[in-house]
Amino acid sequence: MAIVELENVKKVYTLGKAEVHALRGVTFAIDKGDFASIVGPSGSGKSTILNLIGCIDQPTEGVVRIDGTITEGLKDKGLTTLRHETLGFIFQSFNLIPVLNVYENIEFPLLLGKNRPSKKEIKEWIEFLVEAVGLADHMHHKSNELSGGQRQRVAIARALATKPEIVLADEPTANLDSKTGQSIIELMKKMNAELNTTFIFSTHDRTIMEIADHVIQLLDGLVVEDSKTGAKAGNLL
Amino acid sequence: MFLTMKVAFRNISRQKKRSFLLAGAIAFGMLVITLINALTGGVVGNIRDNFSHALGGHVFIMGREWTDAGQMIMKIRPDGRLDRLLEENAAQIEGFTRRSQAMPSLIFGSKQTMHLLYGVDFEEEDKLLGSLAVTEGSLNEVLTQDDVIILPQPVAERLGVLVGETLLIRLETLTGQQNVGEVKVAALIEDQEQLGLSASYISRSYLNALLGMDPHEYQLLNMFVTDLDGVEIFARTFREALRNPDEQEEVEAEAEPEVSVTVGGMPIDPLPQQEEVTRWEGTRYQVMNINQIMEAVELVVGVLNRVGLVIFLILLVVTMVGITNTFRMMMIERTKEIGTMRAFGMHQKQVKHIFLWEAVFLGLLGCLAGLVLSAVVTLVVGSIRFNAAPSMQFFLDDGRISFALSLPETILNTALVVFTSLIAAYWPARAAAKLSPMKALSSHT
Ligand SMILES: Nc1ncnc2c1ncn2[C@@H]1O[C@H](COP(=O)(O)OP(=O)(O)O)[C@@H](O)[C@H]1O
Ligand SMILES: [Mg+2]
Repeated sequence: MAIVELENVKKVYTLGKAEVHALRGVTFAIDKGDFASIVGPSGSGKSTILNLIGCIDQPTEGVVRIDGTITEGLKDKGLTTLRHETLGFIFQSFNLIPVLNVYENIEFPLLLGKNRPSKKEIKEWIEFLVEAVGLADHMHHKSNELSGGQRQRVAIARALATKPEIVLADEPTANLDSKTGQSIIELMKKMNAELNTTFIFSTHDRTIMEIADHVIQLLDGLVVEDSKTGAKAGNLL
Repeated sequence: MFLTMKVAFRNISRQKKRSFLLAGAIAFGMLVITLINALTGGVVGNIRDNFSHALGGHVFIMGREWTDAGQMIMKIRPDGRLDRLLEENAAQIEGFTRRSQAMPSLIFGSKQTMHLLYGVDFEEEDKLLGSLAVTEGSLNEVLTQDDVIILPQPVAERLGVLVGETLLIRLETLTGQQNVGEVKVAALIEDQEQLGLSASYISRSYLNALLGMDPHEYQLLNMFVTDLDGVEIFARTFREALRNPDEQEEVEAEAEPEVSVTVGGMPIDPLPQQEEVTRWEGTRYQVMNINQIMEAVELVVGVLNRVGLVIFLILLVVTMVGITNTFRMMMIERTKEIGTMRAFGMHQKQVKHIFLWEAVFLGLLGCLAGLVLSAVVTLVVGSIRFNAAPSMQFFLDDGRISFALSLPETILNTALVVFTSLIAAYWPARAAAKLSPMKALSSHT
């Protein structure tokens, strides 16, 4: 069952008078529970795709369907709610809230919504996540007291706080050394298996993409290879 | 709500120096207005205290009646209603005096002087004798003898009279006849002229006899109340209970604005200018309270407070500019963070609330600091004893400046600070809320 579907999605950025065709007709689907990777060189459109799936940007053309909902026409409120209910995010530069400690950072998305669980449930769940990402000893540390790898672990736990269907990670290892990066991807994989959460991450690191069970390759705003469908650029053209 | 408050609160301590400067500016404004308010409040309190000492009470009751000859005189006869009222309200009365008074000529040999003379029931006013500072002679005699007088030292000096010598009292009776009495000087007391209080004392029955009244009659009933805040209600209780059925409400209305005070002379003009000509039967009571006398003082103080408010507002506007600029800077610094929070599902409104709460906390912090500073200043200044001129003593409390801050004023000032902080922060907060999550996330700050 596809949880993310893109149909002939185009994205054009206008920079003054110049137009940048970031995506030039992208079609693919990602199934629930997938550990999917979007691969391609810098400027190929990976971030653009993740922004569209993450509902923080809208396509110029085409359809983006998230968990059955078409994002087109949704206003800021609707998009925000959709993000809150279905999506979690992991960023390249971790983006932890500096004034909150580890526990509070992870708890944070949970406190944004209207129908939040009871205090006790929240506590148990956050403690489970902290344990799962191996930071039980650092629960009350602020982000500036953590290493890059530790911060990204917090970010993974935070992305999972609301039990989202999909977690998006735009080059989550780009700011980490390769060994730490590897462990981060492994942690993501572990959580993916444990919670059956769909993970979609972008990378331009070939060794990291190998762990993915679905690889979509991009080049210049087009899908050149989709490991699930076996489609190649040649077939598409 | 709680989350946005928490984040906002933590954000305050993020850039300590910046928050300190903004809160400091607010605190300074608060300090200025609080000191002005507290100072004027204290002065009013001191003037009220000094007035009530000089006038011998907080609530004053006078009785007026018509004589058969068609003259209006000031006199209170023994009255069951009054006695009952005094009894019923005893808990609220700190003390009361029932006195007669006159402005006689005191004559000794070839010298004479006019001076306020109180006729006092010394047994009833047992505290009075204790409060008088005797410089010569003794107060014992007044309890046993009727025709002895207690004189302020300066008056005795003016007349050249000594303790034990006899002087003449010449006055007009209530109905306007000349009358003379002969009294012995029992004691000299310290004058309290700087408080506007300088009077001689004699037994009430003796003065009454001279004035043409019975021993148990008197002219003024003065009361000190236990709770000065309730003085108006207290006075109204008496006014209403003492109103005769035939008396109209207008008597009260007429009585209120027509207060004229002559400190050291007759406390309150006994015969208001616009006296109605129609005669009445029996006694009509006029009840006044210290606040009516204080109205003029409070008017002046009100102007002072308003000037303070204007200064405060100017300071606030200057601070506002600072807050707006700072918040705009904060928005730029936190762009990526805002993007992150938005990605996780924070609504625009909540982003706005973080900034607005921050403004509220900053304002409250500034107010608190300002109040603490004010407290320090007032404690220090209030402990200094000034050797000011006697006329200035009227504004002081035993030579010290007093400060009294009213809670409503403080709340109002705090509300003003919070309100202006909110206005100042509103536009940056809105701009932060309107940031596109995508652009915010791709920002490099
Ligand atoms: N906000 C933007 N405005 C203009 N051009 C953009 C913007 N974001 C991305 N682009 C352009 O779109 C193309 C794809 O960018 P991006 O999706 O960021 O690629 P990747 O993440 O694979 O490096 C690039 O040519 C980039 O310059
Ligand atoms: Mg990118």
